[in-house]
Amino acid sequence: MAEATVIKPDLDFVKGVIEGGGESLKKCYQCATCTVVCNVTPDDNPFPRKEMVWAQWGLKEKFAGNPDVWLCHQCNDCTAYCPRDAKPGEVLGAIRKQTIKQYSSPAFMVNFVNSKAFIPVMLLLLAGLLSAAGTFAIPDGEIIFSKFASTHFLQFVFTPALLFGFAVGALGVKKFWADMKKSAGVSSGDLGGSVSATASEILGHSKFKMCGVSKDRFTAHFLVFYSFVALGIATALGVLYIDILHIESPFSLTGTGFPVKIFGAVGAAGLLLGVLLMISNRFKNAEKVGMGSYFDWLLITIIGVIMASGILSWLTRVAGIATVAYSVYFIHLVFVLSLFLYLPYSKLAHMFYRSAAICFLKYSGREKQ
Amino acid sequence: MEKKYGVYLCKGCGIGETINMEKLKPRVSGKGRVPADIIKEHPVLCSPEGLELIKNDIKEGTNTIIIGACSPRVKYEEFDFPGTITERVNLREFVAWTAEPMSSDAQSLADDYMVMGIIKAQKGDVPEPNILQDLSKTILVIGGGMAGLSAALEAANAGYQVVLVEKEAELGGWAAKLYKETPRQYPYDKLEEPRVVARIKEVEAHSGIKVFKSSFIEKTEGQPGLLDITIKSNGNSESMRVGAVVMAAGWKPYDASKLEYLGYGKPNVITSIQMEEMAKKGKITRPSDGREAKKVAFIQCAGSRDPNHLPYCSSFCCGTSLKQAKYVREKDGDSVAMIFYKDIRTPGQTELFYKNMQNDPGVLLTKAEVTGVSDAGNGNLYVEAENTLLGEKIKVEADLVVLAIGVVPATRAPQEYLDGLTEAQKKGDDAKMSYIESTPKPDFILNLTYRQGPEIPSLEGAYGFADSNFICFQYETRRTGIYAAGCVRQPMAMADAADDAAGAALKAIQCVEHVAKGIAVHPRAWDTTFPDPMMIKCTSCKRCTEECPFGAIDEDEKGTPFYRLNRCRRCGTCMGACPERIVSFKDFSVDLVGSMIKSIEVDEDEFRIIVLACENDAYPALDSAAIKRIKLNPKVRIIPVRCLGSTNLVWVTDAFSKGIDGLVLLGCKYGENYQCHFVKGSELANYRFSKVKETLDKLQLESDRCQLMQVAISEYDKLPQMINDFVERVEEIGPNPFKEL
Repeated sequence: MAEATVIKPDLDFVKGVIEGGGESLKKCYQCATCTVVCNVTPDDNPFPRKEMVWAQWGLKEKFAGNPDVWLCHQCNDCTAYCPRDAKPGEVLGAIRKQTIKQYSSPAFMVNFVNSKAFIPVMLLLLAGLLSAAGTFAIPDGEIIFSKFASTHFLQFVFTPALLFGFAVGALGVKKFWADMKKSAGVSSGDLGGSVSATASEILGHSKFKMCGVSKDRFTAHFLVFYSFVALGIATALGVLYIDILHIESPFSLTGTGFPVKIFGAVGAAGLLLGVLLMISNRFKNAEKVGMGSYFDWLLITIIGVIMASGILSWLTRVAGIATVAYSVYFIHLVFVLSLFLYLPYSKLAHMFYRSAAICFLKYSGREKQ
Repeated sequence: MEKKYGVYLCKGCGIGETINMEKLKPRVSGKGRVPADIIKEHPVLCSPEGLELIKNDIKEGTNTIIIGACSPRVKYEEFDFPGTITERVNLREFVAWTAEPMSSDAQSLADDYMVMGIIKAQKGDVPEPNILQDLSKTILVIGGGMAGLSAALEAANAGYQVVLVEKEAELGGWAAKLYKETPRQYPYDKLEEPRVVARIKEVEAHSGIKVFKSSFIEKTEGQPGLLDITIKSNGNSESMRVGAVVMAAGWKPYDASKLEYLGYGKPNVITSIQMEEMAKKGKITRPSDGREAKKVAFIQCAGSRDPNHLPYCSSFCCGTSLKQAKYVREKDGDSVAMIFYKDIRTPGQTELFYKNMQNDPGVLLTKAEVTGVSDAGNGNLYVEAENTLLGEKIKVEADLVVLAIGVVPATRAPQEYLDGLTEAQKKGDDAKMSYIESTPKPDFILNLTYRQGPEIPSLEGAYGFADSNFICFQYETRRTGIYAAGCVRQPMAMADAADDAAGAALKAIQCVEHVAKGIAVHPRAWDTTFPDPMMIKCTSCKRCTEECPFGAIDEDEKGTPFYRLNRCRRCGTCMGACPERIVSFKDFSVDLVGSMIKSIEVDEDEFRIIVLACENDAYPALDSAAIKRIKLNPKVRIIPVRCLGSTNLVWVTDAFSKGIDGLVLLGCKYGENYQCHFVKGSELANYRFSKVKETLDKLQLESDRCQLMQVAISEYDKLPQMINDFVERVEEIGPNPFKEL
């Protein structure tokens, strides 16, 4: 018979999950209804029941290298059917937050980006940087945003912020991947095949289609996801036009880059619509699946503000209302910068860890092909 | 009493459509049994008009009433005519609902049932209750814990004198030793002061309750209403008379020294009882070094639900450990309480407390089979468990382990002692007997001077609890007038013990009131008849004294039996046992049933089967089958008896000599998990029956013509088929050869 595993309950971990949006965690009495109704769990060693009891006991080490909390897409079928109102979907969200904390460095950033001081600090920081650049004022004449924040300024501040975000995420994934291999006892697999299968799963949103009670999340996430892709492409083209080809900004209203502008605008509209859909889904399903945590809402808020301020600044620019246009543009920049820094520490980090977890599932052969 | 007869036939509920009344009436009155003009019929006899018909006749002097209508088990309020002999003939269930309408079979059934009803009325008489003298209505409560205190208050507040006997120096029992009690009110999240404190004060201040502390019952003799008890207190004995007893003797914790595998014996492994004591003192510390305990493990079912220890659930330990987890958490917010359970069982509102405790981050729960407790160094312990939800096999470190210890009823030790003696005596093992006698005698509770032994007898499957298998009457024991309440009856939490006490107190009140009116205590709680032996013919054979399930019959110095009537439950077992057939009730006797049997019309070409059916379960089962319209072979005639124990062998002779082809004794299941209202009626009938089969064989009558069937009331749907199958077997054997004689 195998040696008994020594388990070490960690009260702080329990409290962390509870404070991070899993306040219903302790209501679970381990009946496994959640695991039975879950459509996205693998059949072998399924979740989320085992995660619920581990979290109740504060078994932090069980979550190191555990891909399962990331395989959860928070359809919340479990939450809807839970007889004890323990909301496993919400709890797993809170556990993911704990995992993000665990894998992200430096540690203080995690608390910082998720604290209420984050946005105000970002605002002050950007104002300071703009003041240092000497452009923190409403310029005269035709409304051109680069008069307020120059292209070089943006490259100097925003590009490193984005790269920082991705670097932290990549580092986290590296650690996570090693832990997953260790805890599953897997040493090798078909990495290339797994990555391409993962990419097709993510691009096709196939797991989302399995969700029961909150089916609408598919549309919302699909819109948000592809809008981000569209916006990413538009931004990349912008960089290409201005910095590499040194031709006119594709974002001017009259210039030759007009199609790129349209691409960006459609992306913006899609993202706004997607976020609005997410919010409306939240309200619609709140009774069944809960309202979500501050952690979830912060992401939606940031994206929402970026979209609203982006569109509003564009409209006011066209309308020629300089004061409003520049102020709103400033807000827009604050939130974009926030998003970049927030990326690896926040709910948005799911793009790293969930992708890695899905990939590992295929890599380790646990998911039946 | 000069009998003036009235016979009433109801045509409602399908009776009129099944039986031709015009043919029935002359058959009933025929043979000069009753005058034809007193037989009346009505379309709905239980209607006001129908009842008026009967009541007008009563005013005119009719006093012996035979009603051919529905089962006597229904409409008993309508057909209640005090001061008369009223005999109900079950034409509806046994004829209209089970036989072919307007068939000759239906007609013949109705004839036989009506004639039997008339014979029963002719042979019976109006009972005069037998009320014994110098009765006491005082209620003795044994045990001053939650159940005992509650029973005393319930009885005293209902106006009865109460004597409360507690063996310890203070009242309160285990309830008073608690630090706190589980929450009793919404939202079930705050521990409360033990409620027993207020109850002790109330009892001590009550003028109707006399309390004896540091006392026990040295002797109980007599019978309900006349129980003479001796109370021993600090060396002094005091005698008094009481009417009934509530036995709330409580429980003891299971012997933890038998739980070595759970670490008991190690300094930092304690029982839930020790935990209460410690919490009451203030701090939760480790016995080994006095340090405050930070990681406390609770092991549920310590001894309970384990075939090697206590096979049953002790009911309140889950609530207790949740409560003690709260002690731990309230004293230190950084501590953890880990609960390892088989299943969390929190009956009633305790479930809400469980939910609240579950929400505490520091209360960790998992299902587990705890396999052992081992040293983890430094006085700490590893709790080792399997089949947990946390993993197959785990070990968790704790600095204090609490065993949620199970309940052992106070009745168990005396039962085991006495059973050991009885068994040794049976085997003639004198060495064993003297060995048992040399061991310390456990605390006896009742010390009855009954021939059946000094305590409530043990029962297989009751594990020493004062259980009686009286599934309908939970507080009753197998000793009339003695009622069990609280944990001595079954494991229960405090609120349940208080409710139980109220129930037992009510039963005790019922007992003293019934004996005061000369009515059977229970289950025949309406019955004013009583066994009335013709002693001049008694041969002192002592069968009745041995067979009476309630020890109601004792022998005087000369060996002549005499009744302690208030112990009697009127089952008629003595009547069935008596070879001289001298025991009779006013409405039930050997002659009466024998005459009914003999009145059944036996045709040479027809098979006739008699079913002697126990009134308690078999008869209602037959009624239920009839309600479902399940057909019964019309060759069958059903005669109710008080209990199969009242079946006298002479009835078998009566039946077969008359030409009856088969006989069924239909009674309750017997054995250790019996369902018999009179404990062993069908078992005794089976024993007597085994003898009769030999006799039948000698007479060259096939013994297969007689069968005893055991039936549970829930098996009513199978019952007609069981009887029909029997009829077929008898038909295969062929007609009774005595028919032709």
